[in-house]
Amino acid sequence: MSAGDNSRQNSFVLLQIGRRRFALPAGAVAELAPPVKLHRFPHTTGSVAGVIVRRRRILPVYDASSLLIEDAPSGQQIYLVARCAGAAKELSAIPVSGECEMATGEVQPPNGDRPAYVAGTLRIGEESVDVLDLAALVGSAPSTAAGAIRTEAQP
Amino acid sequence: MNASANSGEHSHAARRGKPEPVILFWVASQMFAIAAESVQEIRSTDSLGGAANEIDQEAVPKVRHVLEWSRRSCYVVNAGAHFGLRVTRPTLVLILRGMRVAVLVDRIDRMTEIPAVYPLPQAFAGAERRWYRGLTYIDDSVIPVVAPTGFLSSEEFAALDRAIKPPVAPQHDMHGTAQT
Repeated sequence: MSAGDNSRQNSFVLLQIGRRRFALPAGAVAELAPPVKLHRFPHTTGSVAGVIVRRRRILPVYDASSLLIEDAPSGQQIYLVARCAGAAKELSAIPVSGECEMATGEVQPPNGDRPAYVAGTLRIGEESVDVLDLAALVGSAPSTAAGAIRTEAQP
Repeated sequence: MNASANSGEHSHAARRGKPEPVILFWVASQMFAIAAESVQEIRSTDSLGGAANEIDQEAVPKVRHVLEWSRRSCYVVNAGAHFGLRVTRPTLVLILRGMRVAVLVDRIDRMTEIPAVYPLPQAFAGAERRWYRGLTYIDDSVIPVVAPTGFLSSEEFAALDRAIKPPVAPQHDMHGTAQT
């Protein structure tokens, strides 16, 4: 493994979702996209809020905030576009606040009681930040029950 | 176009093909597209008159009527109920070509051509994979392109067929019972 590979493995993007910060491996992140229009249509997948069109691609938008935090974030959000590590490996977007930064560090294994989508813990100064496993996160969302379909297009 | 509906990424360039005529229609506040070639007729619900007979069944709540049309019986699917949208008062029925399905919708927007149908992202893992052939992009909006075969599953057809099947060994005339 080269020094560059090693450096990339220890690089993370810190993202703000609501009042909490989380980390994603930098290698999984493609870009930060501006707050483009979120397109909604009826579906039953609980973790997906809709789609955005970015660089001539239609990307699913995961509703990460509903999975990670209790209070829905307010204010304008941008999209962090990342490659999901699951079987699909497709580019996906997560709404985040505009406050993203890079960080490097060693990931410590998660405590036993942490959810499956926490791949580890990154120490940033005094702060301990959960490193997200995006595939596990989106896989942890239950499908929407019949009769509670995610729908209603925006005006 | 449906053949590669499971591919991972969907750039416009990769999906360019022959433009496809579609009918854009509304259900509640949502616009959908359906291939024009899959629609045989569009009728006002008022014009159907006695051609629609109510079905007494609970197995498939989105179907309340069977339509006798062009010497065949079509199950009438309420698109709002199918897609889980709020209840509306549909005014039109799309009679699908070569299928025993008619679909209640609110209104037709227009007929147009779409340059491509993009696969539904694999993040969508529920019933919508049966509902939609994919997505298209029209006038700055992403519109789901419905799959005509997605309105009723084979199990639902079977349940409906059982519901309208005449009772065994009737002693009286069963005139008006729909054939399957």
